[in-house]
Amino acid sequence: MELTDEQLLAMHRSMIRIRLFEETAGKVMETGKMPGFLHLYVGQEAVAVGVCEALRVDDYITSTHRGHGHLVAKGGDLRRMMAELMGKATGYCGGKGGSMHINDLSLGMLGANGIVGAGAPIAVGAGFRNKYLGTDQVSVAFFGDASTNIGAFHEAANMACALHLPVVFVCEHNMYGEYTPTNKAMVIADIVDRAAGYGMPGVIVDGMDVVAVHEAATEAVARARRGEGPSLVECKTYRYFNHHGIQNLGLKYRPDDEVLAWKERDPIFTFEAKLIDTGVASRELLDATWAEIHAAIDEALQFADDSPFPAEDQMLAGVYS
Amino acid sequence: MSAADVPLPDPGEREITYVAAFIEAVKLEMAADPDVFIAGEDVGAHGGVFHTFDGVQTQFGERRAVDTPISEQAIIGLGIGAAVTGLRPIVDLMFMDFVLVAADQIANQAAKLKYMFGGQAKLPLTITTVGGAGLSAAAQHSQSLEALFCHIPGIKVVFPSNPYDVKGLMAASVREDNPVLFVLHKRMLGQRGAVPVERYEIPLGQARISRPGSDVTLVSWGKTAADSLVAAEQLAGEGIDVEVVDLRTLSPLDIGTVVESVRRTNRVVVAHEAVRFGGFGAEVAAQIQEEAFDYLDAPVGRVAAPFSPVPFTPALETRYVPDPARIAAGVRAAVARPLLGR
Amino acid sequence: MAAVGVIVNPWAGKDLRRLHAPTGHTPDAAKVGILRRVVIAALDAGASAVLVADDVSRIAARAVHGIDGAALVEGPGTGSALDTRRAATSLHDAGCRPIVVLGGDGTCRDAAMGAPDALLLAVSTGTNNVFPRFVDGTSAGTAAGLVAGGLVPWEAVSARAKQIHVEVVDGHASHHDIALVDVGLIDAARTGARAVLRASSVRAVVAAMATPASTGLSAVAGRVAPVRRGDDGGVLVTLDGSDRLVRVPLVPGTVDDLAVADVVRLADGQAVVWTGPGVLAYDGERDRVLSRTATVTVSVRRDGPWVLDVERTLACAVRRRLFDRPAAVAPLAKEGIDD
Ligand SMILES: Cc1ncc(C[n+]2csc(CCOP(=O)(O)OP(=O)(O)O)c2C)c(N)n1
Ligand SMILES: [Mg+2]
Repeated sequence: MELTDEQLLAMHRSMIRIRLFEETAGKVMETGKMPGFLHLYVGQEAVAVGVCEALRVDDYITSTHRGHGHLVAKGGDLRRMMAELMGKATGYCGGKGGSMHINDLSLGMLGANGIVGAGAPIAVGAGFRNKYLGTDQVSVAFFGDASTNIGAFHEAANMACALHLPVVFVCEHNMYGEYTPTNKAMVIADIVDRAAGYGMPGVIVDGMDVVAVHEAATEAVARARRGEGPSLVECKTYRYFNHHGIQNLGLKYRPDDEVLAWKERDPIFTFEAKLIDTGVASRELLDATWAEIHAAIDEALQFADDSPFPAEDQMLAGVYS
Repeated sequence: MSAADVPLPDPGEREITYVAAFIEAVKLEMAADPDVFIAGEDVGAHGGVFHTFDGVQTQFGERRAVDTPISEQAIIGLGIGAAVTGLRPIVDLMFMDFVLVAADQIANQAAKLKYMFGGQAKLPLTITTVGGAGLSAAAQHSQSLEALFCHIPGIKVVFPSNPYDVKGLMAASVREDNPVLFVLHKRMLGQRGAVPVERYEIPLGQARISRPGSDVTLVSWGKTAADSLVAAEQLAGEGIDVEVVDLRTLSPLDIGTVVESVRRTNRVVVAHEAVRFGGFGAEVAAQIQEEAFDYLDAPVGRVAAPFSPVPFTPALETRYVPDPARIAAGVRAAVARPLLGR
Repeated sequence: MAAVGVIVNPWAGKDLRRLHAPTGHTPDAAKVGILRRVVIAALDAGASAVLVADDVSRIAARAVHGIDGAALVEGPGTGSALDTRRAATSLHDAGCRPIVVLGGDGTCRDAAMGAPDALLLAVSTGTNNVFPRFVDGTSAGTAAGLVAGGLVPWEAVSARAKQIHVEVVDGHASHHDIALVDVGLIDAARTGARAVLRASSVRAVVAAMATPASTGLSAVAGRVAPVRRGDDGGVLVTLDGSDRLVRVPLVPGTVDDLAVADVVRLADGQAVVWTGPGVLAYDGERDRVLSRTATVTVSVRRDGPWVLDVERTLACAVRRRLFDRPAAVAPLAKEGIDD
């Protein structure tokens, strides 16, 4: 199924929404107005967008500590996201969750997560629900390369296979877990090599190429919808910034050349070049998208800035339903 | 033996931070005993995300300062297996919240192994971690979970409040032949205090009267014990003379020092950062009424966090964590209580 | 120098096709094993050294660990086809005859691009494996070592492969590409995840090698007009809505109907002209996007890399009693290569 121009432009737009949201959040954090940890998704946009574009609104996803991109790609509201990151009452979690716990159940986004590996079992649960009710919805677990060293990942992968559930495991292999290169934390280089051990197919795809990710996700999602069980898609990608915050170069655990080499393969700029080359869009049209999203982000920031903090009587609200 | 019986070196003039005191203790133990090593996520090349192991790998090499995969269960298991076979591991869980990921290895394995084996095994294992709120790190990176492990027989729980205690308690924890959960508070890491250069141990299971007073006893640990001293100074201005007892070790609990103090002051408040319901303060309060019921002029007061996860937004988090003002308010309430029927 | 070169493609055998069909997965562990067998056997058989191109997945490093006589050769480490191409160039320049290539058709193509005159010994670990041979690493390594050590003369057991030349003129740009097995004109707009999955998207195929047992695009030719490694020229198959439906395994583990309109035998050097739009797939992977105005000229010529025949090499060694201890070198019979 060839992508239509509308789909291609939607993916372009979605990647820019992530990029500008994240860059803006990073700047706000630098001013001290954004509390807590900020794990930015810049560099990995093609993964969230390529996958979520292959999903329906009623499909579920679980996410990670690096979860803003997943929510944006699933259709998240930039205003409520920005407000949440700033701890405001109008945010997605009323200010109680922050960056690591943003979610939107109405979009099937079952939450970013502060515990590495914890999202995968929850995606299995959502997949179980879909099979149990006999719907054709699927669930996707996004997770990092280094998270696959935690028991929860293995248990989830095996259970999804054992129960033959409609779950797609999407690994974002950005080569690091915090400050440790993943090749020091595991001997194998490709997470897909683990898939075979559970009895599911796994494929590697260029995580800097949104169309490639979309194709792989489309196949994986289609299999799951047809009832053919789980699969694993490993996207080779890179985070431009430090584990958290916005430092980019000069980090002692990774060489600057490596960062620059990956930036050469930027998922948005390479995609734009192809869109122009193949006549899908003009430079002017793409620039207009940037401008429009810039405005939307400014508006979101203004909204967040203008919003109140939650009142103290909100402290105990929502502990139980 | 009470706290006063323990001879300790003079702190001297040198001031270093809470985290530096911890690193110093780790390095001294490693230098003294080749069987001591550290292992955990990002503790080696990076020196720990809270810099709690800065320079350890530089000094002792990769063999003894091991970066592990993100595998909390296996990190604890590595410590257990190495300890029961003769090494003396220090294994680190980056955030205290992650003890829950490794809960089986800690609570079912490490804590029970010696007993289940009929007392034969020795488990010289120190589990280090960083707990507490105050960085807007939200519900899964801010907890104070010490009560959970105090409820488990077989493991000791240590939560120091100042650099001096950090160094001495860490030395004792590493030399301890039972598993110890050693908790640092993330908001204390930069606090400075006088710390001797040489090695010394503060025995586990001994509380310390960190401020003598006569009107009311204030029991706490960790960062709250430091905040309790601040509260006590405020209250001194109001004419309330507070005696602060810093438990330092929660399990085993030195209830003797607490009870002895309560018998003198007749009023007591327990303050901690963890949620109040089911918190370790409840155990302290219960033991006080068991041992000093007749001396109490007021119910045992408690100052602690509300029964909710730690909120992200500073607007709520600052109200969530007991601060010196809230501790002082709790003490005032205990002191203000009239003596009915006397 | 009597060195054997080795290149492993870390990505081979792991692409998208595994979601589409029960195509096999080649884990690193398998590649490490094959590579290690190659190295051990090559050194035993007479290679003075084995130079192994390093790779981003550290397969090579794991495979040669602790083996004296094996050395890693650093490459650009881009994690892309460029690594294979550069490795072929540098190993060939370093005098490695042969270079053992672990991968599928796409990997062999990259090696040939990097070193057009290389002597290749291709061991299949890929998805479509028409060009490389299914052979155990031990046998491959033995053959490589015998040839590198000069015990079996390479001319006697090697042949020049065919190659498909593709000249693309698209607007102001022109390109010269090559493929070893097949070139497909695909009805698509993008390269995406590269594999060609949809039978209905295939408009035309030129194959240099195609047997009824092939999988991939060359199978289209292999099931209507086979052409062997040793035959000169190739075959052109054009597809459209015609009535002749042929069952073709476009992806291992799938079989689809392809509507074959026309089959033409191509002589050595005979040109076929195609026009855009579409995407050209080389040895199974979508590679070059063509605009509406693009013209493409395709021809098959016998000017590809040299290919070492493992069976022949080993048979020659048997005749010369090279496996006996001590080796008694018997006179060499005249050897040729055909299959
Ligand atoms: C159980 C647990 N252990 C450790 C951490 C601390 N931590 C947060 S992110 C991270 C690295 C995760 O790496 P990866 O899964 O590759 O995701 P990436 O950050 O690269 O996106 C670690 C160790 C955590 N949050 N939870
Ligand atoms: Mg990672």
